[in-house]
Amino acid sequence: MLPSFRYVRPRTVSEAVKALAAEGARAHAGGTDLLGCLRDGVFDAKSVVSLSGLDDLKGISPTKDGGLKIGALTTLAEVARHPGIAKGWPALAQGAAAAASPQLRNQGTLGGNLCQRPRCWYFRGDFDCARKGGEICYAVEGENTYHAIFGGSGCFIVHPSDTASPLVALRATVKVVGPKGARSLPVEKLFVLPAVDHTRETILAPGEVLTEVLLPPPLEGAKGLYRKVRSRGAWDFALGGVALALSVKDGKVASAGVVLSGVAPTPWRVPEVEKLLVGKALDAKLAAEAAELAVKGAEPMSGNDYKVPLVKGAVEEALLALA
Amino acid sequence: MTDLLYWLQGPVPETEPPTAEMPPWGETKVVGKPVPRVDAYERVSGSAVYPLDFALPDMLHAAILRSPHAHARVKAIDTSAAEKMPGVRAILTAFSPGADVPWYRSRGRFYSKLFDERVRHEGDEVAAVAAETRAQAFDALKAIRVEYEEFAFVLDPRESLAPDAPLVHDGGNRYGEPARYERGDLAAGFAAADAVVEATYSTACEIHAPMEVHGSVAKWDGNRLTIWDSTQGVFVVQQMVAGALKLPLANVRVIGHYMGGGFGSKLEAGKYTVIAALLAKTTARPVKLFLTREEVFLNAGNRPANTMKVKIGAKKDGALTAIEFSSIGSGGAYPNGADTSFLATDLYTCPNVAAVDENVAINAGRARAMRAPGFPQGAWALEQAMDELALKLGMDPVALRLANVPKVSQRRGNLPYTSTGLAECLRDGAKAFGWETTRAAKKDDGPIRKGYGVAAGMWGYGGGPPARVVVKLFADGSVNVNAGAADIGTGTKTVMAQTVAEELGVPLEKIRIEHADTGTTQYSGPSGGSKTVPSDMPAARAAAVEVRTKLLAGAAEELKVPAAELKLEGADVVSTKDPAKKLAVTEVPALQRNQVIVGVGTRGPNVEGKVISMFAAHFAEVEVNVRTGEVSVTKLVAAQDSARVMNRLTFECQVQGGLVMGLGLGRTEERVLDRQTGKMVNANWHDYKIPTALDVPVAQEVLSAELVDTECNTAGAKGVGEPATIPTAAAIANAVRDAVGLRVHDSPITPPKLAALLAAAGKKG
Repeated sequence: MLPSFRYVRPRTVSEAVKALAAEGARAHAGGTDLLGCLRDGVFDAKSVVSLSGLDDLKGISPTKDGGLKIGALTTLAEVARHPGIAKGWPALAQGAAAAASPQLRNQGTLGGNLCQRPRCWYFRGDFDCARKGGEICYAVEGENTYHAIFGGSGCFIVHPSDTASPLVALRATVKVVGPKGARSLPVEKLFVLPAVDHTRETILAPGEVLTEVLLPPPLEGAKGLYRKVRSRGAWDFALGGVALALSVKDGKVASAGVVLSGVAPTPWRVPEVEKLLVGKALDAKLAAEAAELAVKGAEPMSGNDYKVPLVKGAVEEALLALA
Repeated sequence: MTDLLYWLQGPVPETEPPTAEMPPWGETKVVGKPVPRVDAYERVSGSAVYPLDFALPDMLHAAILRSPHAHARVKAIDTSAAEKMPGVRAILTAFSPGADVPWYRSRGRFYSKLFDERVRHEGDEVAAVAAETRAQAFDALKAIRVEYEEFAFVLDPRESLAPDAPLVHDGGNRYGEPARYERGDLAAGFAAADAVVEATYSTACEIHAPMEVHGSVAKWDGNRLTIWDSTQGVFVVQQMVAGALKLPLANVRVIGHYMGGGFGSKLEAGKYTVIAALLAKTTARPVKLFLTREEVFLNAGNRPANTMKVKIGAKKDGALTAIEFSSIGSGGAYPNGADTSFLATDLYTCPNVAAVDENVAINAGRARAMRAPGFPQGAWALEQAMDELALKLGMDPVALRLANVPKVSQRRGNLPYTSTGLAECLRDGAKAFGWETTRAAKKDDGPIRKGYGVAAGMWGYGGGPPARVVVKLFADGSVNVNAGAADIGTGTKTVMAQTVAEELGVPLEKIRIEHADTGTTQYSGPSGGSKTVPSDMPAARAAAVEVRTKLLAGAAEELKVPAAELKLEGADVVSTKDPAKKLAVTEVPALQRNQVIVGVGTRGPNVEGKVISMFAAHFAEVEVNVRTGEVSVTKLVAAQDSARVMNRLTFECQVQGGLVMGLGLGRTEERVLDRQTGKMVNANWHDYKIPTALDVPVAQEVLSAELVDTECNTAGAKGVGEPATIPTAAAIANAVRDAVGLRVHDSPITPPKLAALLAAAGKKG
């Protein structure tokens, strides 16, 4: 059952910012995650601020520099089927297409996908876990098949988004508007590791709303993909995956974005792998070497050491697909 | 309460002889044809009223407060704040008058109460609220203060019998003594074997997860109670509710016209049924009580997890010499079946067999019969062991099975089968699948490996009495069929209309089925055990034949010819000797005079000295990504022996549903309990992974052996619901083994398990 809450539907971003600054306010974009969390009692809401009246936050348009501006309320389905994105930034199109199910992609938004709460079953269930202000992370001694092998401390969620890793790999930025005005930051800087604060996933402060995602212009010889491994064919989060955004010039990798998904509390960029790839011709040997490096330093829990070979396999396969 | 596997072990009741002489059908006109559902329009248009849709004026809504703990004692309940909340009309706890109802009966004793002060699993009932709206009822639950004393709990059946294991029930964690079966000399059998394989297999606990959640609407008129229930058997609900509330059966009317799936989880009244009735009584208002999806995951049954040890020996030619099988499982916090040994003792010819089934208590939700209870688990173990044996013998897995096809049921007194299609299923299935050619062309390189697997199965019950059907032919030639069976989505109504149409020549549009109402329809057992077609269709046929006999007798009087000379042809009665002598059915004076001709049909006893069983062989093709452990089931072929197929469409739908459910067992489904708290962490649609459309192969073929069985019953059909899901998971497991050379012993076969195994084995693309 949903709790009782006040429902507001602002018409402008500044009205939304004001409404979201109130205590206990929750932003409602597509609502596919928010309503479930409220119904399940994961968290409460004094007011639900619908963003659906903010038409400026919808749609996809080119930027002057040849990049792309995607309004935060653009649905995942729109991102997935946009021909320009599929061509210039394929990792993002594939990430959006790999999320959830067709029904959810028609309703869920890109902004919401980046800001969604984790899917950890202790966080979602009737457990007073660390992320909800409790004392312990139940995954440490409990059922941690789907939990983090990188970046966990005090909390071992994995970031659920399939679009975040592609956006980090593509060096995208987001625009955030809040009580103090607007700011832009790399998508990579949007997310918070538990070591910094294990009760939140993004740096968004009360009243701040993510308004748009900006994709830089595609590099010459750009290639990319998103590879997601999951337990079932649809409506399932990543067991592990990788977003690749490469540019290839004269047969050699000129730049590389390599970001893992499903393995850490944030999209997990592997700069060592990016460095390794640059300046080399992508072949089977390099792919194997890069895959090995991608999982270096992983710290599996009692029930998720499978993620090491799984992610390694996914990275190798993904790199070979672009070779 | 019905004990699990009653259809395997229960005595056949004394029954009256069949009411009409019915030679086996030869060529049929309506039966067997791919007729769409007679209620298809209602179902797809939304005009069918399911119990969950049901609403009455002045109706209250109820909700149940459940234990958040796996094992605890309720020390105190304070409902005072909840009672004052808006809309709240009644609150029930263990201390409410009339709520002291014993519950969960097995082996002559009750293991709990409607609200037990000792809660034995997360989700056990603690209190209930009726309020004006559903939201108010759930809000009130939050305001009830309960003080618990928490106890240690046990979750794994394999740990339940340890000396220091917490006791779920005082007196011990065994639900009865282990069930043992033996024949021959096991040691001699293994000594005579040229090859022996031995391994342990396990299946994860599965949830039925029907589309419609469980629940009831209850309404009193004086001391008469009417219940609208989402159920597989209205008469079972009637008996359990009448027993619980100490009412005469005649005062309890249970109606269950439509229902949105049960798969065995709706073969009994729920506590929710009785709670709804008690709340309705207290408030003098109708009460609707339906579970939430989370409650269905926690507390509406499951297929228990089983751990099974199998040892099989065989001669070089494949002839089995010995099978040793042991199984441990749990009915849950309250007794229910968890045995799995039947297949191991009866599917293949083997002179020396020993089996033991251990059923223990754990602090988790109680099991309920789930589609072929025990059999898919047994097949998972036995059929993977057979596959290992074939590898060890260097034999084709199909050939090994064909070398051991039994002619009699060794488990059941060496009695012959009325029909046995195991060999046909294996041969026809292999042919349709392209077993030999695809296996010969298999390549073992590259990152994506293909594999092919087979598994067989059988279901050991072919229905029986009691079942009664009344057919009424009205003066305008239309027909009403009155039968108590629930149509659980399998097409019972459609097949029954076809059966009656076959005998009366009436078009399906003129037949109406009145069913599943204890107040107005004839007795039938619950729709479970794949028994509805073999139990109720013979009764329907007998009723229709009686109507025809009476009709022809009436026409004979009018036409002045012997009745034996007459036949039904369309809407007319015609003489076989003189086609000029004919009379419209509607003009038969006996029908005109009485406005109706009634036929009553009963299900006769089963044939003596023989055994009725259905057989199946399933074939699976998989692709495994050796880099990531991903498994894709790319093709499934099901060859079934159910004797006569009553309706080709509903038959195929049933088998396809069985394949998908088997795929869930083999590939995706698993209840996960948190070892620290005993709570289920995946009690929702997302984390409990039912296969999606993208997990089910497009390439599916359903074959029927179409054996003529004139002895199983007068419809000649053996039923198909359960045998259609028994071998699927094992066939998939065998295909995975074929693809990558590794065997996953524990269901489901997920990328996590396979990725770990592949990594350990050093497998790479």
